[in-house]
Amino acid sequence: MAIGVRDRVLWQAAVALVALVVGVVVADAAAVVEVYRMIQYDLRGVPLGSRRAAMNHHASSNLAVPGSDLSRTVIILPIAEANITMLNEYLQTKRLLGGLLLLFPHDYGSPTDSDSEGDGDDNYAVVRKHIAEVEQWLIHNNLPYPVYFAYEDENLINILKEVVVNDAAGRPATAMTGGYKLVIPVADAKKLPPPTITNIQGWLPGLRAEGDNSILPTIAIVASYDTFGAAPALSVGSDNSGSGVTALLELARLFSRLYANPKTRGPYNLLFGLTAGGPYNYNGTNKWLRNFDQRIRESMEYALCLNTIGSSSNQLWLHVSKPPDNVFIKQIHSEFVDVAEGLDLSVELRHKKINISNPRVAWEHEQFSRQRITAATLSQLETAPELFQHTGGISDSRRMVNETTVGQNIKLVAESLARHIYKQQGKQIEVFAEGSSLAVNPAYVRAWLDLLSRTPRVAPFLGKNAPIVSAFYKELAEHTMDVSYHHDTLDSTFVFYDLTKAQLSVHQVASVTFDLFVMLAVGVYLGLLFLILLVTTKGFDDLIGALRRPPSRKVKST
Amino acid sequence: MTLFHFINCAALTFGPHAVYYKATPLSEYDTAGTCIKAAIVYLGTTLIKLVCLATFLEVSENDSFNLSQELLKALIGFLDVAGLYFALTQLTYRNISQNHKFQAVGLGWAFADALLHRLAPLWVGARGLEFTWEYLLQGVESNANLVLTISLAALGSLLWLRKSKPSTVVPIIYASAAIVATMPSITSYLRRGLAWDFSKVVMFELSASLLMAFVTWRLFSACQRPSL
Repeated sequence: MAIGVRDRVLWQAAVALVALVVGVVVADAAAVVEVYRMIQYDLRGVPLGSRRAAMNHHASSNLAVPGSDLSRTVIILPIAEANITMLNEYLQTKRLLGGLLLLFPHDYGSPTDSDSEGDGDDNYAVVRKHIAEVEQWLIHNNLPYPVYFAYEDENLINILKEVVVNDAAGRPATAMTGGYKLVIPVADAKKLPPPTITNIQGWLPGLRAEGDNSILPTIAIVASYDTFGAAPALSVGSDNSGSGVTALLELARLFSRLYANPKTRGPYNLLFGLTAGGPYNYNGTNKWLRNFDQRIRESMEYALCLNTIGSSSNQLWLHVSKPPDNVFIKQIHSEFVDVAEGLDLSVELRHKKINISNPRVAWEHEQFSRQRITAATLSQLETAPELFQHTGGISDSRRMVNETTVGQNIKLVAESLARHIYKQQGKQIEVFAEGSSLAVNPAYVRAWLDLLSRTPRVAPFLGKNAPIVSAFYKELAEHTMDVSYHHDTLDSTFVFYDLTKAQLSVHQVASVTFDLFVMLAVGVYLGLLFLILLVTTKGFDDLIGALRRPPSRKVKST
Repeated sequence: MTLFHFINCAALTFGPHAVYYKATPLSEYDTAGTCIKAAIVYLGTTLIKLVCLATFLEVSENDSFNLSQELLKALIGFLDVAGLYFALTQLTYRNISQNHKFQAVGLGWAFADALLHRLAPLWVGARGLEFTWEYLLQGVESNANLVLTISLAALGSLLWLRKSKPSTVVPIIYASAAIVATMPSITSYLRRGLAWDFSKVVMFELSASLLMAFVTWRLFSACQRPSL
């Protein structure tokens, strides 16, 4: 009895051990790569972006390999060679793909040395334009398969070469033939709760004249800091939003020096605002403005929004929604033009009427105009961008931002503002001269541009306590007063799904036929071994006897 | 299909032991007890070997061939021989013939060796998606090891269990026993010192084991003749 119980316990222990060992997941792979997932979102309930996350299929190198079942293959494409028309055709004809892996060149996005400019830059501009097109196609379509981005490294390049060779030789990787298998073992993405958008503001109070008790007028300088792109983990938005934010911080620093001395403090309050929700029709700006007291809103004389002032161009546009023959607008424009002449820049006025019933808000100043505040956006973009266009996605990288131009544009804005504040219109003064203590600091500009180019800032994945947001707060707190956060929730027309990064394992798998072949070989080997050992040790007669026994038993029974 | 691969490799690694047991007269004479006893002796020997290795061997950073270390390892490897001696001579068996005794001991020894050294890597590695030739080669190696162990057991039984041996054959017996006993050191020298590929090493092991088996068989039959 005791033995029986002990046996049972041992048996159960053995079963448990086996179950534990079986549960161990094996994960040795030819290569493990960090990959970045494409965005998945709903716009007014319409699903868009990549709707799947898990990937477990064989690899192929292009869409036109004969004999491959594309619904069970992952296509690996260097992004510069992605053929949008073909991909689109596949999508429109509702043919399924197992997945898409887009590869960036290894050094994509990192700034180059000034020595290697020229041809490299032209090539880069072409590549960048193509990437922007791919990005737009990706963002605005519903892709029912997983899409991931990765940087090319040695492993991936070798793997891709082999896959290309195999495909060209007519041996695509399938379950039957073996080859490379791409595995990303994640669960489907979940809906994120409505994201928090955080606006940060800081004040530089102006100087009231003796005996004057009225509220000082305010000039607001605003820049939106968040981005949106096809790959949220890679949307660093160096130019769009990066250059604007850097400019705003430098302006805050310069004017705080001016305002530090009561003798040079202007008769205007300066309000610096870093807003979120830019790509989503400047939702954050809207909520931020509504949060203000009516009196403060009425005291805002005008607001200047900074957007995309970083690329190597000396043509800028001042976008307004008030008609251009408005006196005030003319005055502001002339201030800019005066300064621009001296800096070899050109600032043109562009008018775009606001349509209140249209929810699309293309420029940040339109949110101010809807609150009856005069506003303008200074930008190197000539036309109003469409939804999710020029929102600092994967095509907007550090390399295309020229820090000298940013410095110059900062000077442009600073001098124009100074002329307005100190009522020096038409006079030739230079407040922020080179070499003075008020000069634009190139190191400061570069440091912020570099930091922003390393920090993806897609609002739903940024969270309330993101380090970059506190960095903005601290920086503004250094130079301005009454710095505060304003948290709000993003408009519910946009719903986002989580999962922005994953690990891709590339396995080299043998085909099923190979396994069957090995099984056959091993079976034959063991069979032969058995026969040989039987014959040599027991003798041939025993073998015959063993084969003959069943019939002889029958004979015996009868 | 990776469980499939695991099953294939396991069949290749452990199959021959089962086949050997079934096909030869060992199964008829019910020598399972002997095999198990030999396996337990192997376990004990390996434990002692491990303790000695841990005590005397230095940990080297790189995988190169260090002569003194390898000599030490070979010396400790002779503990294997001592273990076999113990299994062959000291344990009491039911009355089974000499012939079958060494086969049973060799089989039990080789099976325990294959189980301990190869089952765990097989379980952890062969089930993965990634395909390598390693586990199939390990199976072939286990086959070669079986042949080698049985040869060593045969030579051991010749040395210690048989009283009458033709004097001319004795030095050859000792020489072959020495070669077979040092086979692990030779393979590790090939792998580390000469940096041979795993498949080449396995091929070498296979051919060497077949050669040694042939030599042992001739020696055995040479010693057999007088008693017949």
